[in-house]
Amino acid sequence: MEGPSPSLAVLRDRPVWPAAGRRQSGGEAETDRDMKKHFRVCRFIMETGVKLGMRSVPVATACVLYHRFFQRARLQAYEPYLVAMSCVYLAGKVEEQHTRTRDIINVSHRYFNSGSVTLECDKEFWDLRDSVVQCELLILRQLNFHVSFEHPHKYLLHYLMSVKSLVNRHAWSRTPVAETSWALLRDCYHGAMCIRHTPQHIAIATLHLALDSYGVELPVGDREWWQVLCVDVTKADIDAVISDLLQLYDMEAKCI
Amino acid sequence: MDRDLLRQCLTYHGESLFNKLKCEQIENPDFQAVVSDLCKATCESKSDGQDSPLVEQFIARKADILFCPTWKTATHKEEEEEQQEEEEEDAAEPYAIMPPMEIFMEVSYEERRTMLYRDLEKGDILVGRINNIREYGFFLTLLCTAGGLRRDIEDLELSALCHIREVPSTGSHDDPLSYYQIGDFIRAAVKDIDRYQEKITVSLQQAALSPGLEHIKLGVFPREALPIHYSRSLRAAADSRETYECILKSCHGYHNPSVVEYLLEKVGVSDTQPPSMMRGLQSKLFHEEDFASAIRKRQSASWALKCVRAGVDHFKHGRHVEAMNEYNKALDIDTNNVEALVARGALYANKGSIMKAITDFELALENCPDHRNANKYLCQTLVERGKQLEEQEKLVTAEGLYRKALSLDESNPEAQEALHKITETIQVSIRLREEAVAKEQEKATSSQTSAEKLRKILKEEKRMKKKRKRSASSNPSSTASSRDSSPSSSSSSSSSSESSRRRSKKKKKRRKRGSKRHRRISSKESSSRRSEEGKSKKDRKEKEEEVEWYPAPPNTSATFLNQKGGPRFGERDEGEAAENDAEDKRISQLYSLSAASEDEESDSSQTERKRRDGKESRTGERKNSQREERGSRSGERKSSERGREDNGKERRGSDSKRRSSLGENRRRTVSCSSAESAYSRTSHFNPEYSGNSASASKSVESRVRHDAPKRNSFDGGRYENRGREEVEEAKGEKDSRKGEDENVPGSGRKSEGAGNHTRPSSLTSVPEGSVKKDLPTNLLDIFNQIAQFKKGKGGGQRK
Repeated sequence: MEGPSPSLAVLRDRPVWPAAGRRQSGGEAETDRDMKKHFRVCRFIMETGVKLGMRSVPVATACVLYHRFFQRARLQAYEPYLVAMSCVYLAGKVEEQHTRTRDIINVSHRYFNSGSVTLECDKEFWDLRDSVVQCELLILRQLNFHVSFEHPHKYLLHYLMSVKSLVNRHAWSRTPVAETSWALLRDCYHGAMCIRHTPQHIAIATLHLALDSYGVELPVGDREWWQVLCVDVTKADIDAVISDLLQLYDMEAKCI
Repeated sequence: MDRDLLRQCLTYHGESLFNKLKCEQIENPDFQAVVSDLCKATCESKSDGQDSPLVEQFIARKADILFCPTWKTATHKEEEEEQQEEEEEDAAEPYAIMPPMEIFMEVSYEERRTMLYRDLEKGDILVGRINNIREYGFFLTLLCTAGGLRRDIEDLELSALCHIREVPSTGSHDDPLSYYQIGDFIRAAVKDIDRYQEKITVSLQQAALSPGLEHIKLGVFPREALPIHYSRSLRAAADSRETYECILKSCHGYHNPSVVEYLLEKVGVSDTQPPSMMRGLQSKLFHEEDFASAIRKRQSASWALKCVRAGVDHFKHGRHVEAMNEYNKALDIDTNNVEALVARGALYANKGSIMKAITDFELALENCPDHRNANKYLCQTLVERGKQLEEQEKLVTAEGLYRKALSLDESNPEAQEALHKITETIQVSIRLREEAVAKEQEKATSSQTSAEKLRKILKEEKRMKKKRKRSASSNPSSTASSRDSSPSSSSSSSSSSESSRRRSKKKKKRRKRGSKRHRRISSKESSSRRSEEGKSKKDRKEKEEEVEWYPAPPNTSATFLNQKGGPRFGERDEGEAAENDAEDKRISQLYSLSAASEDEESDSSQTERKRRDGKESRTGERKNSQREERGSRSGERKSSERGREDNGKERRGSDSKRRSSLGENRRRTVSCSSAESAYSRTSHFNPEYSGNSASASKSVESRVRHDAPKRNSFDGGRYENRGREEVEEAKGEKDSRKGEDENVPGSGRKSEGAGNHTRPSSLTSVPEGSVKKDLPTNLLDIFNQIAQFKKGKGGGQRK
């Protein structure tokens, strides 16, 4: 599953990406600084995704690609924003919502130089485009071409449908549980937590937090609703996800 | 802030959250407005404080987002739509339809029953089996829900009554209940719920359904039509290994690739403006101009403009192809780029593709109605196009274009002038057309039958007498050509000058006559004289058509011609001969040309020839001459002078006829050619070939005899014979006339080539048999030979 060697050589020649890609010590904990950086880059991916009109799932894929890439590579080794741009491009392909590099470059350029004039279609533009495409190849190789992931979105929506029928319809329509849980789910992708937890757990955790936030009470039987939805989930799992998620919200205040 | 939601939340979380909220939202005026209300709710709190403080912290911090009224996007309307879809979903299953969760949760019987009576509403659909039929209705054992509420009710031992009034009667039958049997599956709408007595009544009337479910049919249904979620819940109940997850993943709908989009729409969450708890990702914070489509649009526009600039540069340096490429590139980049369209339009207009130019300009103006250059260019191009159309005689369309141009730019002098001009032209041409129509009608009546014609002829005789006095025998248009082609003739120059003098005289008279005629046609057409003079090309064409249209009966014309041609024969003087010679030259020239046109089978040579002829001959004269021809036929037995004049006229007439009819109507051509052959025999070749002929005597026989062999290399002998025969014919005129009459149609067919004509005489096997009958054909042959010769000569001269 390795990429063709010639392109690899080309990539190695480029100064943008130094030869050493792999993380030296896998067990090394993600430092706070790295996390903040990733948070900012993921914020960039999210914002770019919205401006590109991408749906939630491709954006999620882009984030997962990004996090998986930097799971294997050191943050210092690669330019994270370029990787993020390539991730967006690749995610568009993976999730069948093709995004053109030109749009990605335009939106990114505007993101970094807000209020600036639009890029001309000149050499600079084509160089940027080349680097995005080359980086995409790098990501593909770095991830061993495993680029399709299972996302919690599908689970969450089905859970929402099931939980909804447990609640009085008027109470449900009054409470924006769907919106909140969806927002929480999207926000999960700001950190590496989105690849640390299983999709079902994330879905259940976001739904749990949303229900909690509005004080929605579900009927209690012999089993909790979340136990039904996912057999192997425990309260601790849910709490871990929620704790990770809340940490991200804390980080937002610190980073931005 | 949504007070109810906040209260609900506080009731759930209790005091600690309230304190955190007060701390976090201290600056939020919305919260300050509701805070007093919320104290009570907090007091009622039943919270045991087991919730994580982190979650409470989160709620407190994000309270402004969570409880913001605009946060909730799903509306009740969407819920109704959702209900409507339920039935179709059962069939297609766009997402996994799961059995009710309480089956897996193993919620207690009492709680479920309470929940059902709490949540069941009027208009919901229940499914049950009939367990008892009474005279006042039937009872159902409820199995499941089928719309509005999705719950597991099978083991709740619920029963519902369907009163007989709620069973729709099918006409005048006695008992509507007779259709129902115990054990039938019934789909029914909830009519009423007695929550205290725990009694449910249902209805089979469609009107009892809630608005979103009206399309679902109530009544008996087969077992197969039971709701999917019910069958799945049966499966789950039967086997404890069938977990929620298992069923979910086994569902067809779960694997739908667009299940996320579908369900998002169903739950009412927007994916283009996705919600987020992050403050920096609130969709409302993003500027519209930062979005990809907006940037792309701007970028494309500037890029396209760059290309246009390059194209204009190319254009200025005369590199039109490169310029066009740049413009097309610009339009590829940015479709409907106004500048590119205007520039390309200008290039098209420059290259003569006026229609394309107009399209481009119009498209540009569509996108930018105030574009100055586009307006200006379009105006100019429209005028240009109008002029083109004017040339093509599409006057009305042209006028429309001028008007359009003026509507774009009122002050455009060119358009104003052109419009002014064309309005006049149109008026004139309308008049002319009316005139032409009237004339045609006149002609139609005049030439319908020979009897009528005769009457006409008699009528016109008087007029013709007058006319003949003034009309000159020469064809003015031919003088120029005769001057060129026959310098050998000593008298040609004088004759030509004479003829030109005559021409002017004649013109005047003709005018008078023409106006007279027009007055006769329609009194209001007094100005037709002028219009006749300044005729447009179209008009000319019309006239030509008239000429062509006029059917000249070959027999009669031949008769007339022969009758005329004979006696006039020896009576001509030298001057006339010279004139006739010029005339003849022209004819022969025409012949050569006609031969050429026959070769080519094209009309272009014809029209070319027509153009070469003077304007006069084209316009009034032809018509007139034709008219005169007709007249001359009637006045066949006139004095010699008059006859001669007629002769010239007639020749001209036949000439024009030939010109017009060549390649179109052979028969008519033949009739003319036969006539001409008669004339040629009588007069034409005399002076020119006087050098060739042994004597300058005007005897036709000798002329013909001498000419024919010279001109005809391949049929010499036979022609000599025929020449003699001709003499005979000329002498015994009456016979020959008769023979000609008979032969004209036949010879007409053969007018194309000399070979055809020679055959009958040499073989003498034609039905006519007699030599005399062949004679006119021979004459024709001779004439053709002459024409060929002339053609060759003319070609040589041209070279």
